[in-house]
Amino acid sequence: MASLTNLDPATLKRRSFIYRKLAAAGAEFAEVNGGAVAMRYPARAENEMAVARRMGLADLSVLSHGGFKGRGTVEWLTRQGLTIGADSNKAYVQADGELAARLAPTEIFLLDALQGTGRLINQLNAAWQWAPSAPRPQQGYPTPRQDSHAWFMVTGEKSAEMFAKICGVDLRPQHCPVGTIAQTSVAKMSSSIIRADLGSTLAYHLLADIASAEYLWTCVEDAIAEYDGGIVGLAALRSLQA
Amino acid sequence: MAGMNRLPAPFGAWIDRSKPISFTFEGKPIEGFAGDTIASALLANGQTMISRSFKYHRPRSVLTMAGQDSNTLVQVGEEPNCLADKRRIEPGLKVEAQNYVGSFEDDKGRFTELVERFLPVGFYYKSFHEQKTSWKKWEPIIRAMAGLGKADLKADFHHSYYDKQYLFADVAVIGGGPAGMAAALSAAESGAEVILVDEGAELGGSLWYARFNVDGTHGSLTRGELETAIAAKRNIRVLSDAVCTGLFADNWLPVITGNRLYKLRARSVVVATGSIEQPSVFRNNDLPGVMFASAAQRLVRLYGVKPGDRAVILTANDDGYGAALEILDAGISIGAMVDLRATVPTNEMTQAVRRAGIDVIAGHAIKEAIAGHGKSRITGAIAAPVAGDGKLGDGGRVLDCDLILMAVGYSPAAHLLHHAGAKFAYDTGSHMYRLETLPAHVFAAGSVNQAYVLDATLADGRRAGWLAARDAGHSAGAEPPAPVELGCDGLTHPWPIFPHEKGMDFVDFDEDLKYKDLINGIADGYDNVELLKRYSTLGMGPSQGKHSAVAAVRIVARETGENLNRMSVTTQRPPYTPEKFGHMAGRVFEPERRTAMHHRHLELGAQMMPAGLWWRPAYYGQKSERDKAIREEANAVRTCVGLIDVSTLGGLDVRGPDAAEFLNRMYTFAYAKQQVGRCRYVLMTDNAGVITDDGVAVRFHDEHFYVTATTSGVDAVYRQMLWWNAQWRLDVDVANVTAAYAGVNIAGPKSREVLKRVCEGVDLSAQAFPYMGAAMAEVAGIPARIMRVGFVGELGYEVHVPASQGEALWDALMAAGGLEGIRPFGVEAQRVLRLEKGHIIVSQDTDGLTNVWEADMAWAVAKTKPFFVGGRSAEIQAKKPLTRKLVGFTLANDSDPCPEECHLVLKGEEIVGRVTSAVRSPSLNKVVGLAYVHPSDGEPGKQFDIKVDGGRRIKGVVTKYPFYDPDNKRQEM
Repeated sequence: MASLTNLDPATLKRRSFIYRKLAAAGAEFAEVNGGAVAMRYPARAENEMAVARRMGLADLSVLSHGGFKGRGTVEWLTRQGLTIGADSNKAYVQADGELAARLAPTEIFLLDALQGTGRLINQLNAAWQWAPSAPRPQQGYPTPRQDSHAWFMVTGEKSAEMFAKICGVDLRPQHCPVGTIAQTSVAKMSSSIIRADLGSTLAYHLLADIASAEYLWTCVEDAIAEYDGGIVGLAALRSLQA
Repeated sequence: MAGMNRLPAPFGAWIDRSKPISFTFEGKPIEGFAGDTIASALLANGQTMISRSFKYHRPRSVLTMAGQDSNTLVQVGEEPNCLADKRRIEPGLKVEAQNYVGSFEDDKGRFTELVERFLPVGFYYKSFHEQKTSWKKWEPIIRAMAGLGKADLKADFHHSYYDKQYLFADVAVIGGGPAGMAAALSAAESGAEVILVDEGAELGGSLWYARFNVDGTHGSLTRGELETAIAAKRNIRVLSDAVCTGLFADNWLPVITGNRLYKLRARSVVVATGSIEQPSVFRNNDLPGVMFASAAQRLVRLYGVKPGDRAVILTANDDGYGAALEILDAGISIGAMVDLRATVPTNEMTQAVRRAGIDVIAGHAIKEAIAGHGKSRITGAIAAPVAGDGKLGDGGRVLDCDLILMAVGYSPAAHLLHHAGAKFAYDTGSHMYRLETLPAHVFAAGSVNQAYVLDATLADGRRAGWLAARDAGHSAGAEPPAPVELGCDGLTHPWPIFPHEKGMDFVDFDEDLKYKDLINGIADGYDNVELLKRYSTLGMGPSQGKHSAVAAVRIVARETGENLNRMSVTTQRPPYTPEKFGHMAGRVFEPERRTAMHHRHLELGAQMMPAGLWWRPAYYGQKSERDKAIREEANAVRTCVGLIDVSTLGGLDVRGPDAAEFLNRMYTFAYAKQQVGRCRYVLMTDNAGVITDDGVAVRFHDEHFYVTATTSGVDAVYRQMLWWNAQWRLDVDVANVTAAYAGVNIAGPKSREVLKRVCEGVDLSAQAFPYMGAAMAEVAGIPARIMRVGFVGELGYEVHVPASQGEALWDALMAAGGLEGIRPFGVEAQRVLRLEKGHIIVSQDTDGLTNVWEADMAWAVAKTKPFFVGGRSAEIQAKKPLTRKLVGFTLANDSDPCPEECHLVLKGEEIVGRVTSAVRSPSLNKVVGLAYVHPSDGEPGKQFDIKVDGGRRIKGVVTKYPFYDPDNKRQEM
């Protein structure tokens, strides 16, 4: 993973759909997974960690995420070394902090750890190959989650309250344990929310249609304003997790 | 001190005297304190008249001080109909009175009272039922009089910010009075998560102002204890200044506070909304200075405002005596207690009043309030002996006063319970409606449940809270006992209605309905309360019958001889209080989709157009040069190279051993023998054989097809695929990957040259990569799915890449084509180009009835396979004669105007079809189009009539298509 201060996201092939908004907010980018991720917002007066603990919003769309679905998916992934429990709508933490979110009995959404190495997902994508001839083993099929879904992270003690403005599911911590997945509607868009606290800070992954990324980002930015929320970079999230 | 009528502390518990606030009323400066309502500040400053009544423009003022009536509706800035007794003042607030002609003080509209006998109940029915012509004359006058407040439709409106938020609770308690507070505590002690919703600025309800014992300490002490206990409970959330406006199925509760609508879901609900004080009917009972005793107590205790100097209290219960003690403490003198009861009970309260030297006139009612100058204030009351229900005897006394307080009874504030389907029955003991049955998961507590004595109210609340918590799955300790003595009897007088021979004895203040109006309505035959409501508009004003419904039932019962016990008040529907459109709209969410290249289009000057939720470039350039831009873009594709963003096209990955069989069933064509690396057209029909979508199936692997679909149709196609395979259970997986792939079509004779510069891993030569060929390769270092298809009829390639790299692909291709002058083209040019090639657009050139035969697409139907969705219908349709046929056409006279979509196709005078697409082709320099014509006119060379704008008919000539490059040499080069 190269780290380039003041990197122009448009110089890389993989681009977040909202990189212009992040740049306009003063983001300092670094290259992760072939794209530019907003690491921090240096011009902000307030410490980003404090913002993230209260009500933060981050864009992780260029971080590695992917998935598999179809018959044999879980069995194949298990053979690849993943630990996936029996319950759907649960996210299972992998050895290096990646998440295997079981959306359905035969559908897994994979999220890289915040370190952003992409190791597990790259390894799985490389491992999956068509068998040379029929009948082929059931091993599911890769799904292009990296490009179908924008990936945001919502952090801080006000997260659940903020979500209640844009989502009808009760995401309060006492009703939504860590690892719970809500496949629901956020600001009238089909979305998946996964609770994944960062250390002691309440946090949720928010995954939704990449084509509506700007729309959803704007909605969430609007919703967090009431709680004195702000955009935060990946660096703050990593610090919270540490 | 802000205002001549302001009382010193401790009166005015809700105002902050350290924060004076200035605002204006009718242009006059008014001083108040933070915490004041508009009404309390106005009364504190001697402004007794706050509004004008709807019909007769009579002066009105505070009635309830609880936001339950229309007497205090005012205009605040641009916002009409604000409740002055609820809306708190802010610096600079510009408040105006409503509903007057000329000036507020000298309202010319008040003269309607002089002609009131010409405005009887049922005025519209009687005046316009038969003489419809007179409506034209009256309509402008009536419309000018109708409505309250002013909505400035010409203002430069900006929508205020409203939003919504979900809330969740085990137990929702509605009402923050003693019963609600006790219920919330009890439920919380059982372990339930509780949300306590209260209209007031602070919890406590009547504990803030009502006199529960002689020295007035009981209420405040109880409130303090409850408040402390609630504050200590982490599982109680209090929403103050919040109104619950309805109770819907599954305990869905809209709660409004400020500009937010909470959508509260609770497992169980405790309704502790209390009761609403009821007025007495007597002449001039509507004028400023006549109010509920509870309103005066609120003014004194909450806002430190003296509502008058000398009061007469009309009562029928001990609460009137409590109010008397309260206002005596505030330094207001009392002219007399006028008690409807023949015998005044001897108890702590009544004795205390007597000890204070107050004259108690038992067995009397108020016959009339004496109006002062301009009726803006009363100057006295005439008390007369009660001679029976609604009858007054001779004699009586004139009492000097500027304030009449009414304390003659209550009615349960049961609106939410009614919304939920609770049943009530009239109770002849208490003379109030009593709760009979409750729906599941709903509980009632306090005076809405007939528990009036404070100890009973608290006990009832504790019990309801415990039951609600248990209902929500939380149980702790034993069930609290139900209260023994409710104290509901003897509070409400059965007939506090004393009609006056001179009228102006109002039953419904909102609609200016007098006693006689109801009698006349009943005499007109509307002898049921529901009918009378609609005929007279009783209960249809802003307060929704809160103070008139019970009186109306009593009056109808008496006039018709009906048994009151079998009668109900009119249906109480949500909302409990008025809601704004802003609350219902909330923060409007309108999702939209943008392709990876969206901002590149904007940077290139594209005019964007919606395509479902997507935004697509229509053309690039100024709007004023639209046609020129489209022509030039089309020309670039025909002569050089163009680039269009096709990311919005649907994309579906169909994978598995049965993938080919699956497509065979879903689409009309055959796919089993389709070679890997080849594209094939797909046409979808529904069970009725109607064309629903089309696209291309690309076989990338023996078990993998990448299927494209139309932008607007892909979601339905995906649903259909899942639905059918749930039944077929083929071994196939379908994934909607539309958003995951950005796509471009690089088209034109130089497209190969440009693409070659950035494409690796595939030979793009005509031999190696022929028309309808496909490959996976890298374009500009980006993994790509490349398909050689020809929607626009030129050599061209669709390149689909991971969406997050779509912008990089666009950049690379634009750079690679710089030498050739590659030009981006939009949807409009694409439409022209495809029409020149005669390619249909499903849902533009087809409709909800189009089958494959009339669309002339028999070529896309495999004849040998056993089944496809819609195949059986297609077979049947094939055996029937066509009723219309889609044909290509040109114009017999090319100087005729180009027809537009949906211009009619006629055969004689009969409509036989329509134009679906037409354009003046820049490549062919003539009009070409597609149209449905009569089957007998379907052969090339036949002419048919098109009715264009203005009714003119022009001749179309059926022409074989493709119009452009009929031998397809250009797309196959």
